[in-house]
Amino acid sequence: MTLKVLTVDDSKTIRMIVKKAFKPFDCELSEGENGVEGLALAAKIRPDLIVLDITMPVMNGIEMLEKLKGEPQLKDIPVIMLTAESGKDNVMKIVKMGVKDYMVKPFKGDELIERAQKIVKLEPKKAEKGGEDVLKKYFSENDDVHIMMLPNKIDGTVSAEIKAVLEPKVKEMTGAGANQLILDLSHLSKVDTSLIRVMLSIFNDFQKADINIRVVGTSSIAASFKDFAETSEVTVYKSTEEAKGAF
Amino acid sequence: MTQMNTIDVKDFVTNAIMDVFDTMLSMQMEPADLGSVKAEDGNRIVGSVSFAGKLMGSMNIHVSEQFARIMTAAMLGMELEEIESNEDIYDVIGELSNMVGGDLKSRFCDAGLTCELSIPSITKGTDFKIEPQDWARHECFAFRMKKDVALVEVYMKTDQT
Repeated sequence: MTLKVLTVDDSKTIRMIVKKAFKPFDCELSEGENGVEGLALAAKIRPDLIVLDITMPVMNGIEMLEKLKGEPQLKDIPVIMLTAESGKDNVMKIVKMGVKDYMVKPFKGDELIERAQKIVKLEPKKAEKGGEDVLKKYFSENDDVHIMMLPNKIDGTVSAEIKAVLEPKVKEMTGAGANQLILDLSHLSKVDTSLIRVMLSIFNDFQKADINIRVVGTSSIAASFKDFAETSEVTVYKSTEEAKGAF
Repeated sequence: MTQMNTIDVKDFVTNAIMDVFDTMLSMQMEPADLGSVKAEDGNRIVGSVSFAGKLMGSMNIHVSEQFARIMTAAMLGMELEEIESNEDIYDVIGELSNMVGGDLKSRFCDAGLTCELSIPSITKGTDFKIEPQDWARHECFAFRMKKDVALVEVYMKTDQT
């Protein structure tokens, strides 16, 4: 069932980041620019989750939350508050108001998804624009070896998409008796913490299912891996053929 | 007064700028010597927030229009040519000012100087200087990523100054 998510923030930028974070999932996003719009939308669409900013004109997030909690039909809708203020008093105030969770800005889209997944069940979107399946976007097969190709850049959307397809892909491979995966990073432009986080998820999920992984990438990627404790021991093969020979 | 003067504003601002730019823009800003930073020619964009309470003041982030465009593209995950309007740029600079200002406000409150934070505002122009009056403390810090520079000014006074 499509999940309804309401984002209430006066910043178009933050609403866009929230929308992009939920894009890989079967969600319908609605947007409000302030507490008044947020309350009206909450009453109209009855969202499954509200991502609510605090500092907004017209009606701020605290006032909106108070009014929401005062409405019997809306009071149980889970709310994740976004705040730019991490001070003790501010955090205590938010927690006492009965929100499910809160996030201190700055935040990344995949961190928001991690918090949301603890509150609601997010299902990966079955089909992207043009009918392309998200699984097919990242995975292909070469003989009996499954190949996962990462794009040029790992942003919040890519990261969330990948994390969302790992479980179904592991199920698919174990169901088919396949246990060899090549992680192809040859299109990747740089190694950064977003990539490291995604790689840790990939290694964790596949290795738990006894699926062997070999990594393919450029010499520059291999050199950059040495700078991170998590990847310093990873062997990087120059080509898919070389990686296949290493299984 | 003493309490305000003992606050390590440089440390607060440096941590906030580096964290916000890294998390939201994947940009590693480095503190720079203020004297080595050349005044920007051309259009500048300034994001400002104010503090009001036991501590009163404001925080301004100055960037060139070109850097503001680069920041906007980074924050929205798009190419420079895809930025639709100046409103998108102002929104990004305003939101980043809110995040940096929010972090400062939290540090001030934790130090006992409780205050509220305003909604951010934006100033854009060429060849202008902001000269707020009657502040007990004024600090300015420079941050650099390659050739791009962000200047952060903080003005403060307490209800006893």
